[in-house]
Amino acid sequence: MKPLAKKGMDMEFEKVGEKRTTLNYFAITFLLLWVVMGILLPKGARSLVTHMMIFSILAMGYDVCFGLTNQCSLGHSVFFGGGAYGAIFSILHLKFGILPSIFFSVGAGLLLSLIVGLICVRLSEAYFVIITAIFFAVFHLLAMDMTWLTGGDDGLSIKLPSISLGPETISLYNPWVNYYFVLIFLAVSYLILNRIARSPMGRVFVSIRENEKRVQFLGYNVYRYKLIAFIVSGMFAALSGGLYALTLRYGSADFFSFHWSIMPVVWCLIGGLGTLAGSWIGVVIMSLFQYYVSAWWTYYLILFGIIILLILRISRKGILGYVISRRLT
Amino acid sequence: MPEIVTTILFLLVNGLIWGLIVALIAIGHCLIFGVMGIVNMAHGDIYMVGAVLSFYVVGMLGNFWLSLILVPAIVILVSAPVERFILRPYEGHHSSTMIATVGISFIIQQIALGTYGGIPKKIISPWPISFNFLGVDYPGYRLLVACISVLILVGLWLFLYKTSYGILVRASMQDREMASAMGIDVNKVLITTFAMGSVLAAVGGVLAAPINQVFYLMGDNVILLSFIVVIIGGLGSLKGTLIAALSLCSLEGVLASVLSPTKARAAIFVIMIMILIRRPQGLFRD
Repeated sequence: MKPLAKKGMDMEFEKVGEKRTTLNYFAITFLLLWVVMGILLPKGARSLVTHMMIFSILAMGYDVCFGLTNQCSLGHSVFFGGGAYGAIFSILHLKFGILPSIFFSVGAGLLLSLIVGLICVRLSEAYFVIITAIFFAVFHLLAMDMTWLTGGDDGLSIKLPSISLGPETISLYNPWVNYYFVLIFLAVSYLILNRIARSPMGRVFVSIRENEKRVQFLGYNVYRYKLIAFIVSGMFAALSGGLYALTLRYGSADFFSFHWSIMPVVWCLIGGLGTLAGSWIGVVIMSLFQYYVSAWWTYYLILFGIIILLILRISRKGILGYVISRRLT
Repeated sequence: MPEIVTTILFLLVNGLIWGLIVALIAIGHCLIFGVMGIVNMAHGDIYMVGAVLSFYVVGMLGNFWLSLILVPAIVILVSAPVERFILRPYEGHHSSTMIATVGISFIIQQIALGTYGGIPKKIISPWPISFNFLGVDYPGYRLLVACISVLILVGLWLFLYKTSYGILVRASMQDREMASAMGIDVNKVLITTFAMGSVLAAVGGVLAAPINQVFYLMGDNVILLSFIVVIIGGLGSLKGTLIAALSLCSLEGVLASVLSPTKARAAIFVIMIMILIRRPQGLFRD
């Protein structure tokens, strides 16, 4: 009996490995596609794709929280907005360069997600959902209210310093530079997150998703792993917020709005929970949807609501999850 | 009597009356969560629907009080199918219900925006009598609202604790599987409870319509308060929800005189966090 069982497990592992390889090929194809698109696309579409890549970072980060450890947070707009304001404040008040300001925004995300995580993560699922939602709502209210700090609805605009690379200096005002700058961050984020997902820690994340009680019985500190996943996710949300603020050269209290909490959920659900790169499909679909349908119909959010209900009803695997499950069986 | 005392008293009474309305909404919220495990993000929008529908009733029929009968009827007709056909598969899975109800909330808000419009409107107070109350003219409508809310709450209590159907609802709240094993028609209980919770929110909206402005996003403010109240009271504890609603709203009312409304809300939020750190299961839940 024993060798048979072991063989079964090996096959299971091979399957997981194969799944990851498929995902890697998918992600590399997608990234190469973006590299080529940067040259081919006209100006308007290029800025749309730049935004999509920034959102992809947010979506991937959120996937660590929702897809890998099954913590459905509605508080990610706090980290997104926090990251955006981190970048803006560091350039505006501290006169940082571009790269340090991005580090600063990730640091802001780390701090915020640590605070929120310490309070929320140990609670049960229902409390977690509700309290992260309350966090988002209160931070949004405060951001709207404290206009002396955040600029409120009008927001703050910034002048970007240029980046010096040895003898050359480049400026993010050039849309080409901006495009590839964001693309590099997307690729690096994917590498880091993919590494995390494949590491032993990532395996623990997934097993928490599958059966939290059992992981606890195996002697893992579930609370700590969930907190780590939450913080990682918050840091990437902040990175995405910082890049978004730098791309728009502007930030407002809108960065704390509900949009940035619910969109990652939708992106991940469409693309495929727990697949990291799968959420990029969700980002592309939803961005195109918003771009075209909102121009065509004012109340397009009705369709948005219907889409949410449909995805939940049809499949929680998402597009990429569906494709992979078809390939492996 | 010094002026400051009357001001504080005035604010306290205002807060208490607002607290009674919030209690209606939050108890509906709590019932829906307790029986079905639905984290209802669309609850605030049902409150908004109540207010908007009463605006239409006043406009078409000219009588505000009719809306107290008509609006619940409409809300029951709409909410029962929503529970049965949309939310039923996700019940018990808190995150899924949350995402689904966010979708419903978008749909409701946009339909309201499309039909009612994005401009806040006001309903004229249907009972424009004011009482002189320690030298301050106090609008009679608010006192009437307090009476109606108390009546509804008492009615709800009688229903839940003194009727046989109420026992079924409470049994399903305690243990749904066991209840269905005992031969309770859980399907019917679920639909009734969801409809009842929604009606409570909608009635809250009707009562609040002449006090607040009627606006298609008015639910966002209330859902936040309702969530805080439900969390502090302990998820699924009706008594706790009532006490938390009354005490928090009167506290916020008094605080709003010193701080700005947003800061008062933030203060309430900080209190909630403190309580959560000390007692993660809420105040009134063992």
